Amino acid sequence: MSESAQSVQTTAGQAAADGCGAPADAPRVTAAGNQAVVQGTVTQGGSPVSTGYARLLNSGGEFVAEVPLSSDGGFQFFAAPGDWTLRVLAPGGIRAEQGVTAAIGQISRVDVAV
Amino acid sequence: MSRSDVLVDADWVAAHGSDPGTVLVEVDEDTSAYDKGHIRGAVKIDWKKDLQDPVRRDFVDKAGFEALLSERGISNDDTVILYGGNNNWFAAYAYWYFRLYGHQNVKLLDGGRKKWELDSRELVTEVPQRPATSYHATDQDTSIRAFRDEVVAAIGNKNLIDVRSPDEFAGRLLAPAHLPQEQAQRGGHVPSARNVPWSKAAEEDGTFKSDDALRTLYAEAGVDFDTDTIAYCRIGERSAHTWFVFHELLGQQNVKNYDGSWTEYGSLVGVPIELGDGA
Repeated sequence: MSESAQSVQTTAGQAAADGCGAPADAPRVTAAGNQAVVQGTVTQGGSPVSTGYARLLNSGGEFVAEVPLSSDGGFQFFAAPGDWTLRVLAPGGIRAEQGVTAAIGQISRVDVAV
Repeated sequence: MSRSDVLVDADWVAAHGSDPGTVLVEVDEDTSAYDKGHIRGAVKIDWKKDLQDPVRRDFVDKAGFEALLSERGISNDDTVILYGGNNNWFAAYAYWYFRLYGHQNVKLLDGGRKKWELDSRELVTEVPQRPATSYHATDQDTSIRAFRDEVVAAIGNKNLIDVRSPDEFAGRLLAPAHLPQEQAQRGGHVPSARNVPWSKAAEEDGTFKSDDALRTLYAEAGVDFDTDTIAYCRIGERSAHTWFVFHELLGQQNVKNYDGSWTEYGSLVGVPIELGDGA
């Protein structure tokens, strides 16, 4: 994703898609609106991990959603309010996990270094 | 039917993907994934642009499917290997669609694009040029496609399997968590449906679980394997993944995918809806 694409003011509603396959490089929202947004980036040694997957697990450890990482290592979910675990899978057997709490009207950030 | 009839692994694709009579097809909604890199020799099918009617809510018709496959250079005799993102959701949907229109030799790449990428296998940007064919489809095989009235009639007497996430099943979310939640329809699920998220049928790398693990999974969820089954999700692609498990891997008969799914059912006037986490 380019810098200019990232700086576009986007709300959750404008980012709506009517399918299920969220494009990896879709703009991340900059205002949560009435959504509980979880966003972050995955880096390795300070560089973005652009090939890999971010998985969202619920508080019981059950899989809920997955997106491919974007070219800048970013990901985004529209979750329900509550506690979640973010799991990263990347080539070379890389796995990492981090907790995050989502709330309506907020963009909760979770940045993962692998 | 056995696994080898309907699934291939990455080693097979690496060895045989370019064989004459074999066509690799990447199926995505986000076709930028294909454009950034795909398995060598693969053509692409866009889940929405290529497979959906542009006006009505329905598939492209038989003539449209024939035109699509002819243009992509796919023959009736070709072995079609489908793969894609989202743990093969859209590839499974396309698989169901190829079956619906009577294509005989079609298989999924187990693990789809994700496992291929996680295994650091080759992806190329070169787009293959395949000469056009004259593809002939059959009429739709509606024995594998459920419509809304069948779903209403199935309440309480057939296996209804809701393969969405638990939050969508309960009515707390209206879409998968990687999409915005604004939708017009009501939340909840079809009464008597069992919630077995599609993801429980897959390993973390996107490959399908073993037949034994799959049978145990659905049996423990209360699915009666001696009864007809209808699977649904939100728009019919995750449930195509579960349809594939039931019909193709486990060899169950009388299994239908309800492609109208929750975006249709949850918008119908007067039909019963159940809320909460279910039994």
